[in-house]
Amino acid sequence: MAERVMTCEEAAPLLDAFVDAELEGATLIDVARHAASCRACDGTLQERIALHETLGRHGRADADSVDLSGLWTALEPQLAQADARRAWRRRLRSAPVWGGALAIAASALFFLSGPQQATPPTRVAVRPNQAVIERIDSEGGRFELRRERKNGTTLIMVSAMGDDLP
Amino acid sequence: MRRVALVSICVVTVLSLTSRQAVALEVQITAVEASYDGPSDPRLLNMRPRLRRLVGYRAFRVLQDEKRNCAWQSLAAFSLPGGRLVHVMPKGMRDGEVMMHVQVVNGPRSLVDTDLRLQNRGYMLIGVDDDVHAPGILLIMLKAVE
Repeated sequence: MAERVMTCEEAAPLLDAFVDAELEGATLIDVARHAASCRACDGTLQERIALHETLGRHGRADADSVDLSGLWTALEPQLAQADARRAWRRRLRSAPVWGGALAIAASALFFLSGPQQATPPTRVAVRPNQAVIERIDSEGGRFELRRERKNGTTLIMVSAMGDDLP
Repeated sequence: MRRVALVSICVVTVLSLTSRQAVALEVQITAVEASYDGPSDPRLLNMRPRLRRLVGYRAFRVLQDEKRNCAWQSLAAFSLPGGRLVHVMPKGMRDGEVMMHVQVVNGPRSLVDTDLRLQNRGYMLIGVDDDVHAPGILLIMLKAVE
């Protein structure tokens, strides 16, 4: 039997838990498999891993400055659809027998109405100055990452004197 | 005749591939002094609001602007005011992104040492807060164009 590949909607809410190694083995593998085949999610994952490492090394790194607003704007409609589908499945499971007949009739109608437009894959818009920090290090100085939302302009701010950053 | 045509196609293909490999990455490093007051450089007027939001300073003055073709997998050093150096090594292109190793050095000390992917034709910033430009800071703008 072919293995079902996780979709972007399913993977997106799990990325943080994936980075924090909080997922169960099977889910962890599913997310990894999806990220390997999806550039958008892989990019997000790389960003979060970089951030995670930065925060781990330098407790002062500013997690709030990471801008994922574009990602959520793109994902929210998909998540809403997925939630609606789940809610319908729950209702159908608890419905009586006539509910089953109704479901069969609805399926027949759906089948006869012809092919449906496939939902386009979720794409995160690439911003002109978008940068992904894969690794970062500093000898002694304090630093933090900041990101401007509109163009994705990234700033690495370093204090050579070890003082608080402006 | 067909053989000549075939050989020609092969030669053209090899030459085009070779020339593509040889095309260097154009790297632009602009050193900007950011301060709380004073006039801003006209060249930075378009990006001044963005810079203000990112670093909090109001005035931006270009100290130095250098554009250079950097060979792939080779280290290029850009000198900055105040004796700092920016080392850039373009590593490759992937999906419209330039992969680079960037290091900002102040004497024996590495202030920033990073591997990153930047959108082709995009730019990023490195801000250095030290006593040389106090109470302002030095902003290093890095742009990469393939």
